[in-house]
Amino acid sequence: MLLLDRIFECYVQLPDGVNVSKDARLAISKAASVFVLYATSCANTFAVQHKRKTISANDVLDAMKEMEFDTFLEPLKSSLVAYKKEQLEKKEASERRKKAREEGVIPEGVTEEVGDNDSEAAEENGKDEEEED
Amino acid sequence: MADKERAGSCVLPISRIKTIMKSSPEVSNIGQESLFLITKSTELFVQELSRMMMTNAADGNNLSYNDLSQIVDEQETLQFLQDIIPKKVKVRDYYALVGKTKSLQQLTEGEEAKKEEET
Repeated sequence: MLLLDRIFECYVQLPDGVNVSKDARLAISKAASVFVLYATSCANTFAVQHKRKTISANDVLDAMKEMEFDTFLEPLKSSLVAYKKEQLEKKEASERRKKAREEGVIPEGVTEEVGDNDSEAAEENGKDEEEED
Repeated sequence: MADKERAGSCVLPISRIKTIMKSSPEVSNIGQESLFLITKSTELFVQELSRMMMTNAADGNNLSYNDLSQIVDEQETLQFLQDIIPKKVKVRDYYALVGKTKSLQQLTEGEEAKKEEET
């Protein structure tokens, strides 16, 4: 399962002019996949220890500690705060729209533009990736 | 691409990460927040890998497979990658390493071939 093209196109903050060989890209992609599996397994162990069947955010944070990626903890915690805030805003916007429809302000069947929504876009892009396979 | 780098969102495809996570047989359910965090951690991980590669590379402008296998070999936190990112060995060096074992093997194979001919 290759994740890589997206990483190098958009995200790895390499300075301009740095080249990465094809072999290296492929290897990094595999490494990323193995990282996901390792982190998942580790987080799942914590969930099971707490007699839960669902992996929680804290399980993931504990897993990062266990895997000795302590440097990730603070950025992850801040990201989580930002993520929760966005999710809450989305939910509130959705409830406002629903209420407006019920009160007849927006006619039924009219969909309102939500605006740039990265996590939805990411999921849609994820779907595109699957179609390419 | 600055707008894509908001802390609360991910560049990597969340659905793809979810598929990988679900391929683990012992996993039952994955909370939305933990899915987000794993995706985010993977992004951080890739950044960290490239940072380490650039620090250690002979040529900081051209990163190669060997730069990666080097850090996998040296860093304790990357030990879990040792099987999938092995160091590349030249065939010549490999034969030198296994030189004695190879000739012993050839001898044994030679004897077995002879026995088959005789029967």
